[in-house]
Amino acid sequence: MLDTAYNVETPEGIDLRAQAAGPVPRILAYAVDVFYRSLILAALGIALAFADRAGVGIWLLCSFLLEWFYPVFFEVVRGGQTPGKKAFGLMVVNDNLTPISWSASLLRNLLRFADFLPFGYAAGTIAMTLNRDFRRLGDLAAGTLVVYRQQNSSERSLPQAAPLAPPRGLLMQDQLAIISLAERHRDLSEARQRELAELLQPVTGKSGRDGLHYLHAVGNWLLGGK
Amino acid sequence: MDLERLAVRARLRSPWESVDLGIALARRQWGSLFLVWLLPAALVFAGSATFLWESPGLASLLLWWLKPVYDRLPLFISSRALFGEKVGAGAALRQFFAQNRRDWFAWLSWRRLSATRSFDMPVTLLEQNSGAARSRRVAVLHRKHAGTATWLTLTLVHLEMILALAVVALVYLFIPEQVQIDWLPFLSSGELWLQWGLNGIYLLVMAAVAPFYVVGGFALYIGRRIELEGWDIEIQFRQLRERSRRTRRGVAHGPVAAQLLLLCALGLAGALHGSPARAEAGTTPEEARETVDGILVGEDFHRMETVERWRLKDFEWKADAFPEWMINFIERLERLLADDGDDAKDGPGFGPLIGGLIELLLWTGAIGLLLYLLWRYREPLRQSLQLRRREKPGHTPPETLFGLDVRRSSLPDDVCAEVLRLWAAGDRRNSLGLLYRATLSHLIERYQFEFGDHLTESECAQQVQMRRQRGADDEQQPVSGALGDFVQQLTGVWQQLAYAHRAPATERVENLCDCWREVFADDR
Repeated sequence: MLDTAYNVETPEGIDLRAQAAGPVPRILAYAVDVFYRSLILAALGIALAFADRAGVGIWLLCSFLLEWFYPVFFEVVRGGQTPGKKAFGLMVVNDNLTPISWSASLLRNLLRFADFLPFGYAAGTIAMTLNRDFRRLGDLAAGTLVVYRQQNSSERSLPQAAPLAPPRGLLMQDQLAIISLAERHRDLSEARQRELAELLQPVTGKSGRDGLHYLHAVGNWLLGGK
Repeated sequence: MDLERLAVRARLRSPWESVDLGIALARRQWGSLFLVWLLPAALVFAGSATFLWESPGLASLLLWWLKPVYDRLPLFISSRALFGEKVGAGAALRQFFAQNRRDWFAWLSWRRLSATRSFDMPVTLLEQNSGAARSRRVAVLHRKHAGTATWLTLTLVHLEMILALAVVALVYLFIPEQVQIDWLPFLSSGELWLQWGLNGIYLLVMAAVAPFYVVGGFALYIGRRIELEGWDIEIQFRQLRERSRRTRRGVAHGPVAAQLLLLCALGLAGALHGSPARAEAGTTPEEARETVDGILVGEDFHRMETVERWRLKDFEWKADAFPEWMINFIERLERLLADDGDDAKDGPGFGPLIGGLIELLLWTGAIGLLLYLLWRYREPLRQSLQLRRREKPGHTPPETLFGLDVRRSSLPDDVCAEVLRLWAAGDRRNSLGLLYRATLSHLIERYQFEFGDHLTESECAQQVQMRRQRGADDEQQPVSGALGDFVQQLTGVWQQLAYAHRAPATERVENLCDCWREVFADDR
């Protein structure tokens, strides 16, 4: 089964799972960061225009600092998210899914130089595309990766059905599927939902509208309704 | 469409995750996708090189404009691969015209500049929709994913340019410094072969990127369909149905002979005991099931607690958590500050208040420093305290070592005679064991050795040697050379017997006994 999930098992036997983020959203996030940086530099340039040659010096210093330490600062201080990454819901983490450390962030950002070669981050893009967890060279060296930050699932509206206890012998995946059916009752068309419920006719013993209603009721029950 | 053969994990994905999945899919079979894209495009390239050699710009525009035509074969291969069907590059190329028959004109004319091409193409190619049905379908698909599809196109268009420039830059990086080329006139000369070279590079880069674009859009389409049609739910429900069917059939057509046997056995047991065993419980399975349902519906299974951030565990705060002196201290501080406040009202400024604050800070700092120093040097302090303490309580000698009883009272009066008697009787283990534990016992009582269970036999012997070499403290009995040697020898002999089951010669034992008498002569 192909998936982009990244799994880590802790020594305590707990499975941690994250979704590795691929090249397209990362390139766009980088573009957003470049946009912000250019805005800052442009504003600085206008402000420092009065200071003549000293202004040029300060501006160059600032552009150097922005280029190399803007990502480091945001990645470490703001939970692995530069503004661009935040816009796309991405975050940088260590490859054991712990928050990124100063040294790892510095390393992966200084190695952007290697990723840039020979032009326009070509090496980084190719490395990202070929690597199973979408890591560029800096990520490989620093032991980091970029994952999607899990969104807090907003409250979904549940179907109107008095909760009923599920039939016996449901595995965890089965229960999740039933819950998903209940949660998506607005997104899936009524006909399709009935078709799905019809599949379980041998298990539930109900068909048609009743079958769907019963599955919704079970979904409510599994989500803690009473 | 057989969903159970789906080669990717069906789950709800965000649009970006779908694109990532497409990248991973394309990576898996990039070789064949690249080939089936490149070969038709290379034919066009070759054709245009023959007929349009004079205008390379026009040729490259033509090459680029025909992209939707080349895109169809990678889509064909990857759509088959998604359901576990492998199509080779050759077989796919034979399908070239069949795949391009539907809507080719639309894709080459008014839809050519569509920013969601790779996302919409599956509707044409896989659902075989056209006209009004197609536009309705596309509208439904676009509702959530159009933005991502557009960004995918924009990103990869730019990526193509960047990669083409990167190839040129790579070539440039490999030109030795000694080669002096006047670049500007060279590049601006517009030599035809140079432009065709660039066209060729661009063709290769487009062919390399195209699989990711096509499959990325396709995965986006699949992600949208998983969401719209609940593929994940369907797959799971089918599995559940299959499982329940299998278990039911297992019950119905189970091994009949075994059931008959069980029935016979039950009948026999029933006949022997007379009364049914279940009568005590007084419940039928149906009743038990109802009880179980009742409990499952009850309060215990419906407790929910959502914890979203770290918090301290609930402690039971004792009433006297704050000692009296601390309360007094804080009250005095408050009074002090309040006094300062009064002064400040009377006086000209905040001087006294700030002074009080600084004084407080200094005191806090001093106390903190003291605490830190105590903490920092806690190890040396503890050691110096412990040294004194250790002298007071005497070390209680152990009663057994290595499973041997080393109390003085357990020894016979004449150890050596007993040892030799046991040896002669053939009980070698007990004999030598007696000698060894008698030695240990004497070492502990007379020489104050602090042997414990954490030591091995050789470590005990080492301690004896060490005291012999280093000399004894004031209160300890010194160890003579003879005793050291004896302990060393005896330990060796005992270990050989005890662990390796190698008995020493009788003379050796007699010899050891003599030594023992000699060493512990004044202590009988």
